[in-house]
Amino acid sequence: MTLGVDNRAASSRAVAWIRRVQVASVVTWGLLAAVVLVNAMVQPTFFTLYSITSTFATFVPLVFAAVAQAIVVIGGGLDLSIGTIVALSSVVALKVMNGSDALIGVGFLAALATGAACGLVNGLLTAVVRLQPLIVTFATASVFGGITLVVLPSPGGAVPPAMTQGFRLAFAGIPVPVWCVLVAVLIWLVLSRTKFLRHVYAVGGDAQAAYASLVPVVAVRILTFVTAGALAGLAAMGVLANTGSGDPFIGADVALDSIAAVVLGGIALRGGRGGAIGAIAGAIILALVTNVLFFLNVPTTFRELASGLVIIAALALSVLTTRKGVVR
Amino acid sequence: MRYRTGIAVLAVSAALLTGCSSTAPTTGGDTGGGEGGGGASGGPFTIGVSNAFVGSEYRTQMIADIEEVFNEYKADGVVDELVLENADADVNGQIQQVRNLINRGVDAIIIDPNSGSALDAVFQEAIGQGIRVYAIDQAVDTEEVLNVGIDQAKWAETSAQWLADTVGEGGKIVVVNGIEGHPANEARWNAAKAVFDSSGVEVLAVGNGDWDQATGQQTMSDLLATYPDLQGVWTQDGMAQGVLRAVEAANRTGDIVVSGEARNGYMRMWSELKADGFQSIGVVNPPGTGATALHFAVRQLQGEELDESKTVDGDIVLELEEAITNDNFDEKWAEVQDQPDSYVLDSVLSADEVGEYFAG
Repeated sequence: MTLGVDNRAASSRAVAWIRRVQVASVVTWGLLAAVVLVNAMVQPTFFTLYSITSTFATFVPLVFAAVAQAIVVIGGGLDLSIGTIVALSSVVALKVMNGSDALIGVGFLAALATGAACGLVNGLLTAVVRLQPLIVTFATASVFGGITLVVLPSPGGAVPPAMTQGFRLAFAGIPVPVWCVLVAVLIWLVLSRTKFLRHVYAVGGDAQAAYASLVPVVAVRILTFVTAGALAGLAAMGVLANTGSGDPFIGADVALDSIAAVVLGGIALRGGRGGAIGAIAGAIILALVTNVLFFLNVPTTFRELASGLVIIAALALSVLTTRKGVVR
Repeated sequence: MRYRTGIAVLAVSAALLTGCSSTAPTTGGDTGGGEGGGGASGGPFTIGVSNAFVGSEYRTQMIADIEEVFNEYKADGVVDELVLENADADVNGQIQQVRNLINRGVDAIIIDPNSGSALDAVFQEAIGQGIRVYAIDQAVDTEEVLNVGIDQAKWAETSAQWLADTVGEGGKIVVVNGIEGHPANEARWNAAKAVFDSSGVEVLAVGNGDWDQATGQQTMSDLLATYPDLQGVWTQDGMAQGVLRAVEAANRTGDIVVSGEARNGYMRMWSELKADGFQSIGVVNPPGTGATALHFAVRQLQGEELDESKTVDGDIVLELEEAITNDNFDEKWAEVQDQPDSYVLDSVLSADEVGEYFAG
């Protein structure tokens, strides 16, 4: 029994890995290469230190949110509340740090704890009360957003100066925001080697089969949302470092952008397949598309429209090729 | 066991991020920015504009004024390109707007900021690359940024004082404010409230009209129903016409005094009601400060120095235009009545007038 389960897990893991690398990745990395190339062509300053720092600084929050969303989606769920978890975690951390450099570490813990607590609420409602993740997180998004407004009713407050300044520095020749993205990659690489993540894949792929194979489905589902919430807490710290001030309405676009990043990253929305590295690439693609449109002199009136069309095209390309891969 | 690994990783990453963030400042990432920066040079200069709230007549006119002055300079070869970042955005989005302008290599940025404090970090990025930044419409805290605009408190005091004088001591008024908690609203209302307190005017109630004509009308209708004995209403621009409509619908224009706005829609109603004894005031809040700021930008880019004695704490505070009241209404109205109702009474300083703020 034990042996059989292990074998099956091993083989399904192998299959998942091959699918991940072969189909989705080719499209995702192709799109990323294309958008980087185009951006470098239209923006002469693309590879300057400032440009790299500022571009990465802009999408660090989305990168962490995309990893969070990826884990939920792989587990067969969807989290529409990621944006307001980011907002709530950011205002809580802002209040805790109170502009003091000495409290930055405590601020990180506060953001992680707030995010994890929000995730726990989502997890309990989906796994224990057994409501649809889409409905649960749609509702909790308003709840978390409401609490955010109570904590910080209007924009303001100051982030510790060391955090905003440090975020704009280079460390060992590499800008700090780039390090942050590398940290997101590292978090995923380590997580993906844990038994927990294997269980997430199993639950997302086929919850009943996973249950039959003695995977603690309820616990895994709860922990999935908790992990995603904690990652959203890290995204919140990225937001604070970037803006240098608190804003209860920040992150309104994060939830949907993170879902778009996940799909661009070749993660199937039905769950069980894909990896967060793809989602990180997806987040970068989304951010660079906006960049390219600016440097192509697309008037601001049309930029949103153009951005939407480009994203639809990229998503379609990504999804269509993945589907072909599954049939094959 | 492996679950713990995951948690440990999160903790380690958090620690790592903390480590990164606490690194002491050494360099400011100041090698980029293309041809941007460089104080005094011959030009031609590239000008960037960041506006994160679109769809209001005020902001539309603000951008149009900037474009008009820019084109005059362009004809003289002083400037070459105007890069507009003009779309609805939150603070994060406006930070990206400013970064786009920096990466585009602009020499100066004119910004209508969403926040007085939250853009400080990105302003430092721009200033670090020698880009000059001008904040209009709302002042920002960053010292190196030149604020160019009217004094919002004085703007509010002017109409509040007029209203207090008109209803007299013991007069009863209501207030329709903009958006609660918004910095401009707070600055205006605090100034107006002080005037009413010292003049002995009783404020019966304060409502919010969100700087929106329809919302202002609704709020005023409610206030009229609740406080039938009110004698005046103090309100701000962007919703005064709605407030007046509510007063007109209640047939009270003859006995309620309204502090109005210097916009054509309002002034058209005023011109029609004036004969029946309706009294009002309009204080100009010019969208043209953006274009005025462009004059300042060009002169500073050309190496001219501000005359410190003409600045207020290092910022430019523009004089208010003479307020419009029943006394001078006909003359002012004749100048603008051909404009559409959406027109906001405006003033842009000329290049020579701006020159007076400079030394030598």
